[in-house]
Amino acid sequence: MTTTLAAPSVSCQRAIDIATADALPMYGADWLNKLQLTATLHDDGWRIEWHQWRPRHTGGGPHYVIDASTGAIVSKKYYQ
Amino acid sequence: MDAPTAAELEAHPVVQAAFAAAWADTLPDDVVLRHEEGGYIYINATTGEILTRRAPPGGRDALDLSYPPLMPDCFLVATFQPHPNPSRLGFDPTPSLDDYIEADGSGVPWFVVTDVGVFVVGPDSRVGGLSGPPGYPI
Repeated sequence: MTTTLAAPSVSCQRAIDIATADALPMYGADWLNKLQLTATLHDDGWRIEWHQWRPRHTGGGPHYVIDASTGAIVSKKYYQ
Repeated sequence: MDAPTAAELEAHPVVQAAFAAAWADTLPDDVVLRHEEGGYIYINATTGEILTRRAPPGGRDALDLSYPPLMPDCFLVATFQPHPNPSRLGFDPTPSLDDYIEADGSGVPWFVVTDVGVFVVGPDSRVGGLSGPPGYPI
């Protein structure tokens, strides 16, 4: 079965900006900039996630679901 | 001799002491100097002794566990890392998805020491037992 997602009212960049604005006070730019940012659209909204990309390194970053219609933060996890 | 399980390691006094020392060294109550510490857990395949070695201190964001020092007759059986950012400030103390992925790919259990307890991710014990390369088995 194929699910067709409606075109989001909130752009990918806007979702990233919303997540970044929330994440910066917790993590700081230095921390976030060392992680890999991914943004993917799912049926529950934009998933904006910062991940550790260096092998055999600890450390994670924040994960968000941003409502693609309103831009509201649906959920967030401050991983470390 | 079999590779020790994560449960056996977590109960070992040498490992518990290493967890406590690493946690204290992360300076979890210091907003400015809080950082990651951690290291490696080994077994001496001849004597059965459990040993630990620390990795160089990490930053606030990460710890490099890619270079376990090698010692004669010893096999790497686990790693350990505190998550020093306090859960009371909103940080999630549990292992991140990245921790799960890295632990599974390393072939040894990864202990995550937090302000709400100790978590373990990855295999239950060193993959392949006490054979193969003495560092990471994968």
